[in-house]
This record gives sequence, C-alpha cells and structure tokens, in this order.
Amino acid sequence: MSKPRVAIFDFACCEGCQLQIVNLEAEIVDLLSIIEPVQWREGMSDHSDDYDIAIIEGSITRPEDEERIRKIREKAKILVALGACATIGGVNKLKNHGPLEDMQKTVYSKDFSLPHLATMQTKSVADVVKVDVYIHGCPIDKKEFTYIIRCLGAGKTPNIPDYPVCVECKKAGNICRYEYNEICLGPVIRAGCGAKCPSNGFWCFGCRGFVDDPNVNAARDVMEKYGKTMKDLEEKLMLFNT
Amino acid sequence: MGTKKVSQKDFEKWVEKLIGLQKVFGVQSKDDKYEFGALLKAENLRLDYDITILPPKKYFLPSTEQLFSFGESGFNSSVDGEPFILFGVHPYDFVAIRQLDVLFSMKNNDVYYQTRRNAATIIVCDVENISENAFSGFLGFDHVEKGFDLLVTKTGSDYLVESGSDKGKKLLSLMENAVDAQAADISKRSEKWKKNRELLKKQLLKANVNELPAALGKAYDHKIWNEKAEKCFSCGSCNLVCPTCYCFDVQDDFGWDLKSGERTRSWDGCMIENFATVAGDHNFRKNKSDRYRHRYYRKGKYVPEKIGEIACVGCGRCISACVARIANPVEIFNAVAEA
Ligand code: SF4
Ligand code: SF4
Ligand code: SF4
Ligand code: SF4
Ligand code: SF4
Repeated sequence: MSKPRVAIFDFACCEGCQLQIVNLEAEIVDLLSIIEPVQWREGMSDHSDDYDIAIIEGSITRPEDEERIRKIREKAKILVALGACATIGGVNKLKNHGPLEDMQKTVYSKDFSLPHLATMQTKSVADVVKVDVYIHGCPIDKKEFTYIIRCLGAGKTPNIPDYPVCVECKKAGNICRYEYNEICLGPVIRAGCGAKCPSNGFWCFGCRGFVDDPNVNAARDVMEKYGKTMKDLEEKLMLFNT
Repeated sequence: MGTKKVSQKDFEKWVEKLIGLQKVFGVQSKDDKYEFGALLKAENLRLDYDITILPPKKYFLPSTEQLFSFGESGFNSSVDGEPFILFGVHPYDFVAIRQLDVLFSMKNNDVYYQTRRNAATIIVCDVENISENAFSGFLGFDHVEKGFDLLVTKTGSDYLVESGSDKGKKLLSLMENAVDAQAADISKRSEKWKKNRELLKKQLLKANVNELPAALGKAYDHKIWNEKAEKCFSCGSCNLVCPTCYCFDVQDDFGWDLKSGERTRSWDGCMIENFATVAGDHNFRKNKSDRYRHRYYRKGKYVPEKIGEIACVGCGRCISACVARIANPVEIFNAVAEA
C-alpha cells in the first residue's frame, strides 16, 4: 500500500495546532513513515496539489476562504479539521457576538473598510464543506493527533469520544468544579483531552466543542440549582462559541 | 481470629512498618476531600475521613489498564500481581469489593481483576465521620464482621485491630505493644457499630430492600424515568464514582508499524450515550430514559437477582457527583416502592 499523500492548509488561526505537530519532534520520523506530506507551508518548501488527505487548520473568515476550502474539498479524498478554529470556529467566532462593523472598527480602526481587510461572520470548516475527521481541541492533543493519523494510515475509523469531559474527569479522580460553586462546561463538552483543565484546577471552557447531543436545557436547570443564571453560563460558552 | 488493642502511637509505628514492608495505598486528604493514594508516611493516613472521591475499586479495576500488547511475536498479557496493602477501606466499600469478587468470577474468571485482588491485603476501618449523602445504614452495609484481612476500629484513644485471614494475622503479628482486646473493648466496638448504623442514614430510604426487585419490575413504565432523564447529561459520573459499577470498554491502539499495538480497557458506564452501541452502530438504549432506568434496574433488580444482594451499598457518591442532581437512588427506590 502506498503512503497517503497529505497536504496541510491554514486559514484564520494562531497556527498553534501546527506547532503541536512540529513539537512531535522525534515522532515526526514515525509520522513520515506512514504518510507523505506534499504541501505544508509551515514545514516544507515543495508543493503539490495532488493529495489524498487534506488537513485544515483555522476558521473560514473571508469570502475568498470559502472558495479556497471548496476547491480543497473537491480534491481531497479525506478532509480533516484540525483544532478548534477548524472544528467549531474556535475563538475566532467571538467576533460573531456583535455587529460585524463594530468588530472591524475595533480591530482595524479607521482602515476597517479597505477591501483587503474584508471579513465576514466566522464559520467553522464544517459550516462550509463536509468534514470527514475531526481533531478537536485548542490546541490539539499530540497523542490524539498521532493516534488519528495512525488510524487514517491503517484505513480505520478513529474512535473519538462522544461523551462529556466529566467521564475523563471522574476517571482522573478530580474534585468537581461545581463543588466549589464554579461553572464548568464539562457535562456538555466532548471528552478526549483527558479532562485537562479540571485536572489542573480549572473549569472546562469548551475547546473541544459540544458532544453530539448536548443537553443544554439541563444546563439551564443546573444554573438555577447552583444559584447561577443563564447569563453566567453564556459567558462561559462564548469563548469557544460552543 | 483474635482482636488486639493498641495505642495511637504504636498503631502509627505499625503503619510505618507496613509501609517499609509492602506497597501501601491508603486514604489521604486531597484539598478538602479524600482519596486513596500511595501512602508514603504513616502520618498521612486519614482514617477519620468521611468518604473518598473514588472508591478503592480502582486498585482492582483501574480506570484504564493494558490487557495485552500484540505484535509479530504474538500476544503478551500484562497482569500485575505485585502484593499491596489497601489501608482504610470503609465497610460499605468493602461490601462492594465483595460483590465484584463474585461478579468477576461468575462466568469467565477475570484474571486481571483476580490477580490484583489476590495480591491485596485489605484493611477495613470503621467509619469515623459521616459523609453528607450516606445511606448504608439502611442496607446493613454500615459495618462488616467478616471477609476482611484486618478490621481497624478507633475506640477512644486506642485502636482495635481484628484479623480475619492469615494474611491479616501475619501483618498483625508485626504490631508492637499490642494487647488482647477485652470484652469491654469489644462491646465498645459494638456500640460504635450500633451508632454508625443510625448515623449512616443521611438519605431516608423508605423502600423495603427485599421487595425492591419486584417493585422495580412493576415500575417499568413509571413516569419518573422520563422526568429525571430529561435533565441528564449522559455524563456517566454516577457510574464512574460507583463502587459497584464494573462496566468497561475495550479499545485497540496501533504502533507506527500499524501492526503491533496494545489493547486496553477503561471504565465505561451505562449512562453514557454510546454505551449500548454494538457492532453496526445499533444502539439498543438510544433513549435517555431507557439508560436512566437501566442503571436503577442494575442496582436494584438485575444484579441482586444474580448475587442475592442489592448492588448499591449506600455510599452516596453518585448523589454528590451528579451535577444535575438527579442520580439519587434513594429518591428513585422510594418512588417505585410507593407506586
Ligand atoms: S485551534 Fe486554537 S491552538 Fe489551534 S490554531 Fe486555532 S486558536 Fe490556535
Ligand atoms: S469538573 Fe467539570 S468536567 Fe469535571 S466532573 Fe465537574 S462538571 Fe464534569
Ligand atoms: S477540559 Fe475542556 S477546555 Fe480544557 S482541554 Fe478539555 S475540552 Fe478543552
Ligand atoms: S449507586 Fe450510588 S449510592 Fe449506590 S453504591 Fe453506587 S455510587 Fe454508591
Ligand atoms: S451523573 Fe447525573 S447527569 Fe450524569 S449521567 Fe448520571 S444521572 Fe445523568
């Protein structure tokens, strides 16, 4: 079996997830033993448009992005969304919380209307094209990334949790943040990170996005029970627009 | 097999000795709560705890464990049989371990569980402080009189230590300045048991435990399942903190050669959405209320019908762990018994 040809593309993001790949260090050699990179701005100078797997980092924030991602989708057999910006829109979706023009003015002040600074409401990759594989997180988890790549290399469907962060949090033996009267998004957010934040004494802020079937109504009830309001909850949800 | 009495000071010396002898896992504080962990110093042992975050089951069925690795050379089973002491198990948690002993030897003897179980010396200790949601007093799991290797009870400023097995006896023989407990000491312990039975009734169980399987059997269409399930996150917390839950999920991961790899199993729970998903992606308990009901049927009907004992030991952990506050077995058992 020949190695799958892989291209990595970046859209609006901090490139932190690609950095996680670079940080694989010694394991990059292993990675290269099962895939053949053909296009990667951050890691190589060669460039080919003949690829099997397209890995997309970042969100879709400009009209020309939409066009570009559609073209990539046409060429790729498998399209992978890498990191929260791509999977759920990530922090870039913060700008959807107010009128677009206000946001543009805040960022670019008087230059905001110049054509090359044209922008639109942030979309995740899945908002625009079909995504085959999601690699969640902000940033992605190196272990999960290599696991998923191995699955793709072996032609298997990776097993990505569709249960809440609480599952991993409980396995870790953590004290629940609600015991300290803090709001934690764990009950509605997809696990797979090993409950990183609660394990380090923070609430989960939702970087892996909702589970497939989040019980948001129940979250409303919970706010009442803990003397919080929906506004408190919405503030927490806003960071990742989950 | 004999009960000894020993002073606080000599008791601590003995614990220190045990630590030098074997790996010891004991109850220690974690912020304002408690957990079982590797015990490095006798002074860290907190036998005055109310409840641990996770039950001691994790030493027999770890949250994630490798079952075997596979590769060109075949399978390599990975069972760990290093002897250890588990110090400070509360009676209700010990009852849960006894239930797992039965369940894990029923059809297929689970070698992973049994190997660890045989490697363990379990030191049970009587409850000193009552946790907020305890109800083991209603179930008769507030104290145990047999099955343990050692049983420790604090009476005033002394400790009573009873051995219940050869393993326990051996450890007890290492204790210095211990005297035989007298009738008066033993009756102090009985007093404590009586008191604990009443104190460990924080949640008011009104249902008759013996009639529970039948009551549940009749309550299949009770409205409570739907009412509660609507508020459920399917987060599995109530399963994962439960000392009698024993479901696990098996996964494979491959090495970079895409041939060798390892098979692991890790805790799963019937409340988790894809728990009942079988080959072909068919989930036969897709419905939240079906899953919700299933958990109580397991605790109050299915497992009791297998082992002859209610499969909830009244620790109350699920009650505290459920963010939605809907996981209280007492509330459910009372409701179905009334119907
Ligand atoms: S997902 Fe997070 S870490 Fe990755 S590029 Fe976006 S902002 Fe950066
Ligand atoms: S801390 Fe958050 S993730 Fe952990 S159990 Fe509590 S709600 Fe769930
Ligand atoms: S705990 Fe929540 S915010 Fe933290 S890494 Fe996991 S999913 Fe992201
Ligand atoms: S069902 Fe709840 S109270 Fe009963 S043993 Fe399990 S965790 Fe403890
Ligand atoms: S802990 Fe509560 S919310 Fe989570 S699965 Fe159990 S009943 Fe549902």
